[in-house]
Amino acid sequence: MKQIWSVVRREYVERVKTRAFILSTLGMPLLMIGIMAIVGFVAVLSEQSERQIVLVDQSGQLGERVRQALEQAGYEVELAAAGVDMANLDQQVLDEELEAYIVLDDTTASEAVFAYRGKEPPGSVRSQLMRAAVVEEIVDLRLGEMEDGDSVRRLFEGGALEYEPVGLDEEEAEEAEAERITGMITGIAGGLILYIMMLAYGAQTLQSVLEEKQSRVVELVISSLRPWQLMLGKIVGVGAVGLTQVAIWIACVALLAGLALPSLIAAASDFEELAQFRQYLPGPGAVLLLVVFFLLGYFLYSSLFAAVGAMCRNLQEAGQTQAPLIILIIVPFMLQMMTFQGNTMPWMNWVALFPFFSPIMMYPRAVMGDVPAWMVAASIVLMALTVWGAAWVAGRIYKVGILSQGNRPSPRELLRWIREA
Amino acid sequence: MTQNGTVVRLSGVRKTFGTHTAVDDFDLEIEPGTIYGLLGPNGSGKTTTIRMMMGILLPDGGAVELFGGAPDFARRSRVGYLPEERGVYEKMKVLDQLVFFGEIRGVGRALARTRAEKWLERLGLSEWSSKKVQALSKGMQQKVQFISTVLHDPELLILDEPFSGLDPINQDVLEEIVLEESARGKTILFSTHLMEQAERLCERVCLISRARKVLDDDLKELKRRERSGAVAVEFDGEAPPVATWPGVSEVEEAGDALHLTLRDEVRPEEILAEVVADGFSLRRFELLEPRLHEIFVRHAGEPAEDDAPLQTGGAS
Repeated sequence: MKQIWSVVRREYVERVKTRAFILSTLGMPLLMIGIMAIVGFVAVLSEQSERQIVLVDQSGQLGERVRQALEQAGYEVELAAAGVDMANLDQQVLDEELEAYIVLDDTTASEAVFAYRGKEPPGSVRSQLMRAAVVEEIVDLRLGEMEDGDSVRRLFEGGALEYEPVGLDEEEAEEAEAERITGMITGIAGGLILYIMMLAYGAQTLQSVLEEKQSRVVELVISSLRPWQLMLGKIVGVGAVGLTQVAIWIACVALLAGLALPSLIAAASDFEELAQFRQYLPGPGAVLLLVVFFLLGYFLYSSLFAAVGAMCRNLQEAGQTQAPLIILIIVPFMLQMMTFQGNTMPWMNWVALFPFFSPIMMYPRAVMGDVPAWMVAASIVLMALTVWGAAWVAGRIYKVGILSQGNRPSPRELLRWIREA
Repeated sequence: MTQNGTVVRLSGVRKTFGTHTAVDDFDLEIEPGTIYGLLGPNGSGKTTTIRMMMGILLPDGGAVELFGGAPDFARRSRVGYLPEERGVYEKMKVLDQLVFFGEIRGVGRALARTRAEKWLERLGLSEWSSKKVQALSKGMQQKVQFISTVLHDPELLILDEPFSGLDPINQDVLEEIVLEESARGKTILFSTHLMEQAERLCERVCLISRARKVLDDDLKELKRRERSGAVAVEFDGEAPPVATWPGVSEVEEAGDALHLTLRDEVRPEEILAEVVADGFSLRRFELLEPRLHEIFVRHAGEPAEDDAPLQTGGAS
């Protein structure tokens, strides 16, 4: 037991210390924050360069309205007199005294088409803002002229589907809705975490086994440890590294959510509801279930990955040999994406019972309440049995494989290994 | 310590890989406290034999015993094993690696650390202890590996070609350590294809050639028995006509000296008497001990020659 612990510690410490781990752990959140920041920054920066604009109104009715709308959008607008000399304005643009000016004419009032005259085309943010401002004012103006303008305006707002839960009072209904959203968030995040963990860290188990085999260190280690102890230590050690990474990510999100988000959200008063996001955080039950599915799924795949590593002589061979495992992980992920997009087919629930698919497909279903409890229980039992079987087979392949320097075994040889180990 | 019974016993051991027989009908007994040399050219089956002792390979026939039983896990942990293919965790720091190997062999973390530090100092590697193993030269890596072999203070050391790849100075250091460990009561088995090394260190040797045991004996005993009755003589000035003497069957020039092969019934003293009687001035007179290499060749043939196809028929 002590020796397994030594293997776990070595595997963990040596991995956590690597630059790759630190980079991928910190890099992921930083990258996402960075991308968001850059996108926002670039957009704002390009729009802040020149916010002064001259507005020429030839329609005679839109000028003042559009000026107000544009000012609300943050522009400094100078409304030119009706008979202004446009050649003069053009000259100012050419001399770079003025960046651009807008011309509203008669067709603007009927078709919402207007001219933007400048040396450079407007940036995407600018054209969006301006178009929105102009169109809104025209629609408003025209609706005001109509008798039942208010009604049409509501139609434009898109209407609403109001869900009225039967048999629930208002409070219960709100709770149910919150639960649904929580389930959705938890399901998507949980499924993604399971997918990444099984794929990335399963593959790391393979790599670790292969390294020891290739460098022949394994001969030394195996003279002091039983093969299954080494394999178990390795799987646990690598898994612990993965858990550490996820824990750090979750901590980052929680930190952001706990400190930064509420103030941000409070500032943007439009999203008051979101400020109560805390009610959508998963409960202990969902977290516990995630741990159960993680343990089963990770052990299932990483033991098989370890066996693949033990069978092969180098990374190229391993790359080919691990393909079936990769497919077994990717397929349920694809199916699950379809489910999230709303293609819920009842028979999918049965597919989710397939133990190799269960972590990614059954967990989201369980937290979203899409499947009855007995199905979740059944899938856990099935997975546990599969883990047991897979560990048995993988352990035997591993035992023979790590000390064999010959060719990759054929399926028949593999059977012999399993039988005779 | 159970240093009474036989430490290693192989009886009738056979191992084949496909159609190739690596070890055939092999018997071996190693008594406690001996330094045992397993000698033979490359590919003769030394490593396969050792791997079977360590339970890494299972024999196809015969029995392997370690400390009087199957080479199971508990018994293997009493062995310090240095494999021929030297694996290391390249990216681990030297000291961390040694502590890890100590730990999986049941030495407590703190103790493993102190011992490792002592050994590193002894082998002149102290300043490398916090470097990654991959930064070390091959020779240094080999020393690190040797340390990991002895860190848990095993009763039996099985060293597969421990000296290959080391410079002469480090070979000497390692030889010294082997002798020291032996003096502390350890049993040592090492394989080598360097006969000189074996001659210096071993108390017993076992010669393997092409999967089979050729000789297995006490080294001194072996040399006495294999003594060919050759003497080396060297003279100041003119040499007597040794070739014409009746007791001498063959004369071979070896630098300034002459190597005389004596007829079976002739004792060296008779030749010495003859030299002195004739009044030649003798600078050296020495009984030639057979080198291990010669003994090996005598019993197994030069491996290279042996494996060559017979081209000249009729000579014998």
